[in-house]
Amino acid sequence: MLQLHFTNDTLPDNVSTDFQNLNKLSEQLHIVLLPHQSERFLRQLTEFAGENGMSAGPLRALMKSVLLLPHGALKRNLTAEQVKADLLSLGLNEDKARHFSDQWRIHYPVLSRLAVGQTLMVNQLVDMEWKFGVTVGTSELQKTGNIFLQLKLVIRKGNTTENVYMELTLPQFYNFLHEMERAKASMDCFS
Amino acid sequence: MAFLTEGQFTALQLLLKAPSKDVVRKICTESYPAGASKCPSVVEQTANALSVSNCEAIQLLTAFHMLSHHVVYQNLTSPEQILSLFPESFHSNLKNLITKILLENSVTWRNEALSSQISLPKLVDLEWRVDMKTASDSLSRMAVPTCLLQMKLQDTPCISGGPSESTVTTELSKETLDTMIDGLGRIRDQLSAVTRK
Repeated sequence: MLQLHFTNDTLPDNVSTDFQNLNKLSEQLHIVLLPHQSERFLRQLTEFAGENGMSAGPLRALMKSVLLLPHGALKRNLTAEQVKADLLSLGLNEDKARHFSDQWRIHYPVLSRLAVGQTLMVNQLVDMEWKFGVTVGTSELQKTGNIFLQLKLVIRKGNTTENVYMELTLPQFYNFLHEMERAKASMDCFS
Repeated sequence: MAFLTEGQFTALQLLLKAPSKDVVRKICTESYPAGASKCPSVVEQTANALSVSNCEAIQLLTAFHMLSHHVVYQNLTSPEQILSLFPESFHSNLKNLITKILLENSVTWRNEALSSQISLPKLVDLEWRVDMKTASDSLSRMAVPTCLLQMKLQDTPCISGGPSESTVTTELSKETLDTMIDGLGRIRDQLSAVTRK
């Protein structure tokens, strides 16, 4: 059993065969492996297959196994050396392993930032719009000069967004700003 | 400007039958809210206090309701302005008493009108919490701060029904919170520019 950095599970047999098959590809694969961007990746694969005169099907299957490594490596925050070691254990040749781990080193910050961005967020605040004005009169008061502030918050709930409208008086607005600044100060403590 | 008819001023003079000034005051404050003249208990109480029929009580309540709302609407703040509303023939002591009661209450009524006017749901309460995300399915080790914000909104319908409360909970990343504070800061600057002028 291979001791690998990127996963503790037993890999199915075809995975190591697939990695060894990677050696057969003469072109160097310059692919930035973005997790969850499977559609774009599949399109790139089909193009690549077309350009190099091979069928897309087996290539896709191969790539599915290959992708196990970057996903696992990202999840476990592996260094480029560990990634290279795993690739060599799986049977990829030295050249390609080195190239892949170099690419990993270069793209790792972007990949981990993207992974953070994809982490679950509940009712994420997407947008905020505001307007403020003066109430000139009402049915009860012919002339007033009350300042009001209206906020529209756009919140993502699942796949749709929900708009929340609210109105604040001036003191409430200053209190809201004060509380948000306290929250920001608290967050700044941790970064 | 005749906004109250002769008949309505006559109805107001029914207040002369009140046993004390406090009773007059009580009737006046009870007649202010919308729909007071349609509320059976208020009508009963007024009729009993003045020993008049329910019909006459309703006339009185309606008349005073119109008078007090007119005073609040026009923002009449001096006694002369209010006294000039009454016809010459109106009982002068009652006129002075009513003016006094109106002046005493108009500020309260005005503030009440301002706070219950038509508006979007009002922000009633605000709570926040800062969490630190330490792991997720895409990263087994991370240290990402995040802010959870809960706002309680109250929607008070002006016409009928009771207030309805709703709660909105939302999560903000650090960038979102920074952007939001930027926006709020711009609002604050514009507000101070407006109030300075």
